[in-house]
Amino acid sequence: MQNRRRFLISAIAASCAASGGLYAGESAGEDGLKLAFIPQENPEKLLGDVQAITGWLSARMDVPVSGFVTFDHAAAVEAMGNGDADISFMGALPFVLAEERIGAVALLSEVYRGHPGYAGRVFVRRDSGIASLADLQGRDIAFADPVSESGYLYPLDLFVREGLIAGAEGAQGFFDRVFFAGGYQQAMQAMAEGLVDAAAASQYADLLLTPGQQAEITFIAESEPIPSHAVIARPGLDADLQAKFTSVMLSLNAPENRHLLAHLYGPDGYVVADPNRYEGVREIARRYGYLK
Amino acid sequence: MKHLALFAVLCLFPVAAFATALEQTPWAPRAAAYRLTLFMGNLSPVPWQRLEQSWEQPVAGGVPAVPALSRVTTEEAAALRAALKARDRQALFGAATRAVAHGILRHLATAGAMPDAPGATTEVTKARALFRAFEDGIRAGDPQAARALGRAWLRLSSALGARGLAGVTAQPSDRQAFAEARTVIETYLRANYAAAEFAPRARLTPLPETISASAGRAADTPLPPTLPPGAHIAPQRPLPRLVLQFEEAGIDESDLPLVAYGDMLFDSPEIFGSPARDLKITCSTCHNRSDINRDFFIPGLSRHPGGMDVDGAFFNPLFNDRADDHLDTPSLRGIRFTAPYGRDGREASLRQFTRDVIVTEFAGPEPTPFQLDALVAYMRQFDFLPNPKIDRTGGLTALASEAARRGEVLFNTPFGGLGDRACASCHVPDRDFRDGLAHDIGTGRPPFEGGTAPRFETPTLRNVVFTAPYMHDGAVPTLAGVVAWFDETKSLGLSAGERADLTAYLEAVGDGEDPYQAFGGRDSAFRLAFDEIVTFASVLETLLPARDADNIAVLIDTIAADLALDASAMVNQAAKPQVYELAAILRAIGDASAGGDWPEAARQWHTFKARRAEYDERIY
Repeated sequence: MQNRRRFLISAIAASCAASGGLYAGESAGEDGLKLAFIPQENPEKLLGDVQAITGWLSARMDVPVSGFVTFDHAAAVEAMGNGDADISFMGALPFVLAEERIGAVALLSEVYRGHPGYAGRVFVRRDSGIASLADLQGRDIAFADPVSESGYLYPLDLFVREGLIAGAEGAQGFFDRVFFAGGYQQAMQAMAEGLVDAAAASQYADLLLTPGQQAEITFIAESEPIPSHAVIARPGLDADLQAKFTSVMLSLNAPENRHLLAHLYGPDGYVVADPNRYEGVREIARRYGYLK
Repeated sequence: MKHLALFAVLCLFPVAAFATALEQTPWAPRAAAYRLTLFMGNLSPVPWQRLEQSWEQPVAGGVPAVPALSRVTTEEAAALRAALKARDRQALFGAATRAVAHGILRHLATAGAMPDAPGATTEVTKARALFRAFEDGIRAGDPQAARALGRAWLRLSSALGARGLAGVTAQPSDRQAFAEARTVIETYLRANYAAAEFAPRARLTPLPETISASAGRAADTPLPPTLPPGAHIAPQRPLPRLVLQFEEAGIDESDLPLVAYGDMLFDSPEIFGSPARDLKITCSTCHNRSDINRDFFIPGLSRHPGGMDVDGAFFNPLFNDRADDHLDTPSLRGIRFTAPYGRDGREASLRQFTRDVIVTEFAGPEPTPFQLDALVAYMRQFDFLPNPKIDRTGGLTALASEAARRGEVLFNTPFGGLGDRACASCHVPDRDFRDGLAHDIGTGRPPFEGGTAPRFETPTLRNVVFTAPYMHDGAVPTLAGVVAWFDETKSLGLSAGERADLTAYLEAVGDGEDPYQAFGGRDSAFRLAFDEIVTFASVLETLLPARDADNIAVLIDTIAADLALDASAMVNQAAKPQVYELAAILRAIGDASAGGDWPEAARQWHTFKARRAEYDERIY
């Protein structure tokens, strides 16, 4: 979603340790809280963000808080599953997958522009002559990432619902080329530069383009609402610690703390997560065979 | 003021790509150092010490904060250091270009050796970040290759596949596609950026070698000017509050067409020449809302934020004095009361000074008398922030602290070190704390041994709390530092308590109410910008009947594009199409005016007003 844009800023990444993560901040020790951050495009910047936010959380919670950057969602979920991480930050689709696999629970939902939700869109250039999803037959599309709800699954489902493709496997037959660009920004940039005909991304992903490029693009389809990205916890995390963490995180909504949100993927704030809001995501994930 | 809306957007591209001033996304350290090498290497004289620092130290705009030299091989570091030591511009260009190119090649090789491993994505991401250093050069010089390379990067990322999560959403990697895409990128890099020798370049650019070395093709390649990593030309945060005399008196700016036109010109890059115009630099870039832009910084031109060497090689080589003489940007608040102008007080006329800034500092065309009338009319409306701690004579009111009162006595006390004069002798309280004269107080060095030291005009102390750093070159960061400087250099013999009292006095007389613009809800930065653009457009009520095509062209070129660009900062993104529509109508007015079709121009203006009223509630 758009609040990721502050984070999707340049195509550089960190050298990750062989274990799959680069640790930042103080060691939490047995009783500390360990946060796993998933890089979007700039893990090295994320390291600085991790240090800033874990330091603040440590002071506010009076508990050692450490953070590390993982290679990807899988690594974060693995870390949570084996107790190497207590908390992570991820989108609605990876959350429901983590929920099924390891019993992860959603603590908080990001708020952007007053809502804990957003949509996926299919963007095209205004001068492309493409007016409908059907017009994209035989053309190229860039999706963000296969584990992205707004940058893949929900936009893909738009084509399925229109009867243009039969399922995820049908995409290769409908489009000429399907790319997974690696993120919203790369997908949008590829579309804006004319490297592909369409891009699937968050409804706010146009803001990842220059203002001039934004005026040159439009969208031809929008998905149903998607719950926003979530802050999730591993199962069995101490209830008091969980409650304290949630409370401190909600204090980020206070005006004097809002500047810190930029270190956490840049949402406008957080609300307590409502697990029921993810039912639609579970349903679509089941339809595509991602969930039982 | 219209550019202020866009600073809310953290943009993702080099400054060159912007149609208006936005913040830069961070650069990889080696790419940052390379771009700084290009920028500073084109200055005259080349600031070699700063260039060395660009490689030896972490740079602003580079992430992570590590020296670029820590990311290169021993051999690359040796070549870079040798070129820097020899102060050999061409050798440095070659070494820097090769260091970045080989960095990309190494990352791709590492990824190629383990395309199925999760770390491969990291390596490709690193390679892509370095490639950014060359990207605008390829796009400008070799668009066909830029497209092929863009597709190759896309294929490369896609070919890595994805591990998926919980056993699903995985995408298989495609080694052959990866190898093919890698070959495309590597072949181009080796031919254009990893060459053992580069043809001599009069100007250092990221143009591909095959284009640059071809005299005809290089000459035909328009490479948009860029600012280097670490440059900051977006408005400062928080945004200063603008106090306009007419506005405070309840007069609508749209009823003052000359002032409104001047306001527009103050925000228009169209009055400057290249590169300022291309970079969308305007008067308000440095003088945010009549105050200063304390965040403004251009590496190689600025020693610290809030100013720069205005007569250097970059903006107007003809005006280059070849001296590294950073000037602190003065606030324009109350400018009608603060003649003479220029830090050295060289110009008594605001009108003439304004013309000189446009023409000499920023290489603009000679402004028309109407444009100067408008600019001066607008700037003369700038007032100081109200300050209830001082009265009309500059005396402290009951709101001032006891420390400030003690400081007031000191401020009016003659000191031997000041030639038996007091601080108040020059900073005359009932003359806005200034005397309108230029003095040599020892802050500037003579141009040569035995030469005459420069003199600088006495700055006002009104609202001085908000104009740090201080002195003509911004060398002193705080008011307490200013007091200490005078105490030490003029042997005033102040005690620590007296220094504190004098500082408290400066903070009292230099204070101001509500110094920053408040935003919230529908009162967004975009809405402020939108309202200003609409005000600027209102000048059409005057220009259209007068069939003043020239000034309409400047107006439309400034506001039509900016309205569309500012839309990216809207809170209500759903109304973005309506803003694009309004921008298109403005453009249609400009087209009709340029074509002499005045009825059509009037019709479009009527449409604009109607649509604006219709959409108004949604535009924020």
